[in-house]
Amino acid sequence: MAKKIKGPQLIIANRLDDGRVVFMTENGNWTPDVARAAVADTPEGVEALEVQASTSEKSNLVVDTQAVPAETGDAAFPAHMKQAMQAKGPSVRPDLGYQVSKTWETDAQEGN
Amino acid sequence: MYAYDTFDRNIIDARVAEFRDQVERRMKGELTEEEFRPLRLMNGLYLQLHAYMLRVAVPYGTMSSKQMHRLADIATKYDKGYGHFTTRQNIQYNWPKLVETPDILTELADVEMHAHQTSGNCIRNTTTDQFAGATRDEVEDPRPYAELIRQWSTFHPEFSFLPRKFKIAITGAGQDRAAVKWHDIGLILRKNTEGEIGFEVIVGGGMGRTPVIGKTIREFLPEADLLSYLEAILRVYNEQGRRDNKYKARIKILVDALGAEEYGRLTEAEWHKIKDQHIDVPEEEVARIKAFFTPPPLPVLSDDVEEVDTFARENFIFKSWLENNTNPHKVLGHVNVTISLKPHDGIPGDATDAQMHFVADLAEKYSQSEIRVSHEQNLILPHVAKKDLPEIWKALDANGLGSANVGLLTDMIVCPGMDYCALANARSIPIGQAIADRFDDIRRLQDIGPLKLKISGCINSCGHHHAGHIGILGVDRRGEENYQISLGGSGAEDATKAALLGPGFDEHGIVDAVEKVVAVYLGEREEGEEFLATYRRLGPTPFKEAVYDAD
Ligand code: SF4
Repeated sequence: MAKKIKGPQLIIANRLDDGRVVFMTENGNWTPDVARAAVADTPEGVEALEVQASTSEKSNLVVDTQAVPAETGDAAFPAHMKQAMQAKGPSVRPDLGYQVSKTWETDAQEGN
Repeated sequence: MYAYDTFDRNIIDARVAEFRDQVERRMKGELTEEEFRPLRLMNGLYLQLHAYMLRVAVPYGTMSSKQMHRLADIATKYDKGYGHFTTRQNIQYNWPKLVETPDILTELADVEMHAHQTSGNCIRNTTTDQFAGATRDEVEDPRPYAELIRQWSTFHPEFSFLPRKFKIAITGAGQDRAAVKWHDIGLILRKNTEGEIGFEVIVGGGMGRTPVIGKTIREFLPEADLLSYLEAILRVYNEQGRRDNKYKARIKILVDALGAEEYGRLTEAEWHKIKDQHIDVPEEEVARIKAFFTPPPLPVLSDDVEEVDTFARENFIFKSWLENNTNPHKVLGHVNVTISLKPHDGIPGDATDAQMHFVADLAEKYSQSEIRVSHEQNLILPHVAKKDLPEIWKALDANGLGSANVGLLTDMIVCPGMDYCALANARSIPIGQAIADRFDDIRRLQDIGPLKLKISGCINSCGHHHAGHIGILGVDRRGEENYQISLGGSGAEDATKAALLGPGFDEHGIVDAVEKVVAVYLGEREEGEEFLATYRRLGPTPFKEAVYDAD
């Protein structure tokens, strides 16, 4: 039985090779662009995302995968402070985070 | 400075090769994350919020210009052009890639640096007085002993899996600038009545969720017995320290449970069993290590330098800098210069690659190619001739490093907090910046005088808030950042725990609270009385009234 969830969730992780923050997309790819994160709002949906995420973990693409609460306004975004910080990059160095460049230098490596 | 022998070199080269192999096996999937995680941590590589973080050891906070240049090069080549100096006198990189870390470690090993013992439940990098071997108020240079401890503790098989991490600090000066009483073991170099060198041994200090000030278990330990005695302390802890609860695993909990006297008794009993087992090194070896720390031959000059005084009369910031950022050197006519890494709008402890190169160049020119890191997250040029000060300050100022605030309110310790740290409950850096903004005027800071403000983003207390004259702790209050204020802590020889003043504030309220606390001090202080003394005289009440007054 899928466990209870509080509202919609998305999957956040760090890429194994460079540690960068990534989100899981609908088709199970990983992207640094949070707006493309897959969001599930049923317990079954979240469990399906988690299963898919753990497959990526097992194939050594990502580490520390977690389902976390999401806001779903115009685009998906983590609801909690810490993951919001992960999505945006350090608030004190807006020149470095994904929010400015909209690309990590290794965005091209986006795995599946 | 200490220089590696073939033994040291073989150890770190072998470790780098081993880690390179482990990373390759991890990338191929031959090691799972579970298996790999402790291995990477043993090499100083953490996974933080945005990326991996590599913590590089700067043993006892001393490094050469060559090493600083290398740290800068690594920041350029493998990171995002900066590094962060920490309260353990180390440096952290915030964006290294796992797959490139073996190359970073190779480049570090090339200049006799490494990243081990910067993580894990082992004996961590020993910290010391940033002015060690150079300050006027010193009994003896503590660094040779710190180096001995480094060699003894490196990969010590018995102490690589302690109940919890273990931190040692050592000072040789009258004024404690290394917060030794806040460490698992604190050592203070002393001379006995016969003029022999030894240590006062303090155990069981620590911050975190249970702040404790260490207690003396031995008033005078002869220097020759240092390592065997440390081994005895660690053995008692390793055997009896709690492993069932991470929050109760530090030595401070055990010392508290047994009582310091009993802990001392157990240590002595263990020590008598092992002290003749050749744990202590022969005198010649100690002499060999001490020789690396022979003070540079400096000419004795006058402490009064006309051109320095003249420039100070002309330039108020330089005058303040002279007063705050220099410490009298052992040799007359010389000082130790503290370069503040707390510039306005900066991030406390951060330095760019260009600044690192610049400081390394300054050290080559003015400080015998030697640089120190302080636990207060500043950099030091030791052994500087006083006559060079105007030129040095002008160069620093031109490179954004001329801030005269050392020891003043804006010279804060600030942990990385939620901007970087995976364990954080709240951000620290923006709070530090907002306070620095509020107290921007050097004349005002100078009038307020010595004041140590320290900020942590969670109860792990890396920002030393328990030891702050003003301490700020970030907490998570129902998903919002909230900041608690404590007063009256000290990390110096008169160590005290700061006491919580009352309920917390949001990020704006905390800045107002600090301002109100300072206003009470300014209104109540007696002639020449510093903040901490006023607080100790008055107690918390007037501060509480001012801060929580329901206006
Ligand atoms: S005090 Fe907490 S938030 Fe700050 S660096 Fe330490 S663990 Fe991270």
